[in-house]
Amino acid sequence: MSPRRTLALLLAALPLAVALAVAIGSVRLPLAGVLGLAPLDPAHHTILWSVRLPRVLLAAVVGGGLAVVGATLQAVFRNPMADAGLLGVSSGAALGAVLASSAGWAAGVFLALPAAAFGGALLALVLVYALAHVAGRPTLHGLLLTGLAVSALAGAALSMLLVATEEFRVKTVLFWLAGGLEGRSWPHLALGSVFVLGGCLLLWSFARPLDLLSLGEDEAASLGLPVHATRLAFFAGAALVAGAATAVAGSVPFVGLMAPHALRPSVGSLSRRLLPAAFLGGATLVVLADLGARSLSGRYELPLGSVTAFLGAPYFLMAVRRGEERG
Amino acid sequence: MSGRPILLEARGLQASRGMRPVLSTIDLALHASEAVALVGPNAAGKSTLVRALAGLLRATAGEVRLLDRPLGTWSRDALARAVALVASEDEGAPAMTVRDRVALGRYPHRGPLRPFTDADHAAVERAIRLCGIGTLAGRTLGTLSAGERQLAALARGLAQEPRVLLLDEPAAHLDIGHELQLFRVLDEVRTQDVTVLAVIHDLARAARWAERMVLIAAGRIAADGPPDAVLQSPAAAEAFGVHVRGHAVAGLSHPLYSFEEGLQ
Repeated sequence: MSPRRTLALLLAALPLAVALAVAIGSVRLPLAGVLGLAPLDPAHHTILWSVRLPRVLLAAVVGGGLAVVGATLQAVFRNPMADAGLLGVSSGAALGAVLASSAGWAAGVFLALPAAAFGGALLALVLVYALAHVAGRPTLHGLLLTGLAVSALAGAALSMLLVATEEFRVKTVLFWLAGGLEGRSWPHLALGSVFVLGGCLLLWSFARPLDLLSLGEDEAASLGLPVHATRLAFFAGAALVAGAATAVAGSVPFVGLMAPHALRPSVGSLSRRLLPAAFLGGATLVVLADLGARSLSGRYELPLGSVTAFLGAPYFLMAVRRGEERG
Repeated sequence: MSGRPILLEARGLQASRGMRPVLSTIDLALHASEAVALVGPNAAGKSTLVRALAGLLRATAGEVRLLDRPLGTWSRDALARAVALVASEDEGAPAMTVRDRVALGRYPHRGPLRPFTDADHAAVERAIRLCGIGTLAGRTLGTLSAGERQLAALARGLAQEPRVLLLDEPAAHLDIGHELQLFRVLDEVRTQDVTVLAVIHDLARAARWAERMVLIAAGRIAADGPPDAVLQSPAAAEAFGVHVRGHAVAGLSHPLYSFEEGLQ
């Protein structure tokens, strides 16, 4: 499929998914009313405007942001399977968020939660980058193992925090581990959108240097790019987006891997096209995954992170297998 | 050579890879539209010299000068507009098209944000045409052979429109057809007033193509001059540890070379 057609398809799919996700739920809303074609009764109106719409839009923002982060990291690490989750970035962000929340900073200081998530994400990225580059250009295995180690480290710290957390807060902490959008509303959307969309636009506007990084260090430097500084700048941008997404939705794994990986064959790897396509694809994916999380089980709401992991883990394994076969 | 102005020059250049000193006191001047073959045994310091000349590697002593100004005083962009480096490693994402890959060569001219002008598009198309990869321009790198990818990398270097083109083993992965094509492109590039310095492993090929050969051994310049003279010099025999013989053949304007083991 041509890049243009893929983009058109994605542009059509997202609003469709949003409309569907807004209409379906524990209370089904009439689609005509959702689309503004027919009047809604007051109860439905309230559900639409104060519950469904902000949540679905937030799902789109989070999914789009995580996909853009994935595409960015894949270019910087020159590896089509790099992802915030696999590189320990999500764990770092979750650790930061939990720390802010258990320590009580989040209640006292405005923006402490997203700031802590940003800090955790950036720290994890720089750690993985530094450790994996100790022995030259990292292989996929080297990267994944380093990411695994950093994830494990963040997980261990999280467990320690969990033990030290008062019982009534444990559920909040678990939320970041499982990922989810339950009870999220306009303030979360506002917070998430500013940083996620702002960060995505920033990353997109520097698409050209991102493509240079994907060529490798020598070639990028010979074209006049300050390679290390540029990498760190992209890490900061990616951490900003991943941190904000994690602060509002907890960890939602594999989105950053699936969306760009699935779209690259049709839109190509040029970041100018891949980043927007990945945003739309990731947004649609998470909107639908959140719809599944809300409606698959009649009794409970499933954790959103589990839904994307159930999709992403087999996808990842298949992609690795296919990559190995190709050599 | 002395009639042509000096473009790029190493003066007393020393450079290291990590903690290991590789180059000791290199003096080398590259003149306008010169075709120079850089030869030498493995680990002699050829790639290190090329990287130092491109400004990717800091000199531990001495300096590299471009148009008589130290490299350090050039901005990154200006340096990349004047000197292009094409290595033999096969870089580039498999899903990137050849044209997009070549267009990245315009980065030093346009930076991260400024949109491409007609001149940029023209330079990209010219580079693609010069390398004879017009029919591949819309294909993705993952679908190309190693030789075709190398030509795409060369086209990226040409799209930079440099004064000096540095190539590190450009023919490393190429079959004979692509190899001949590559050196024909380099000959054409020279006619456009570009200095070309290429690390070449195949000594006979280097002698055929270049007008000047620089032999590096153990981090020093062991010989420098017309290719046939350098190749048949005692320095070459010693550096490679082989006997080099040039054979005159009736009807051929250049000697054919044979190499035999034996010198230690």
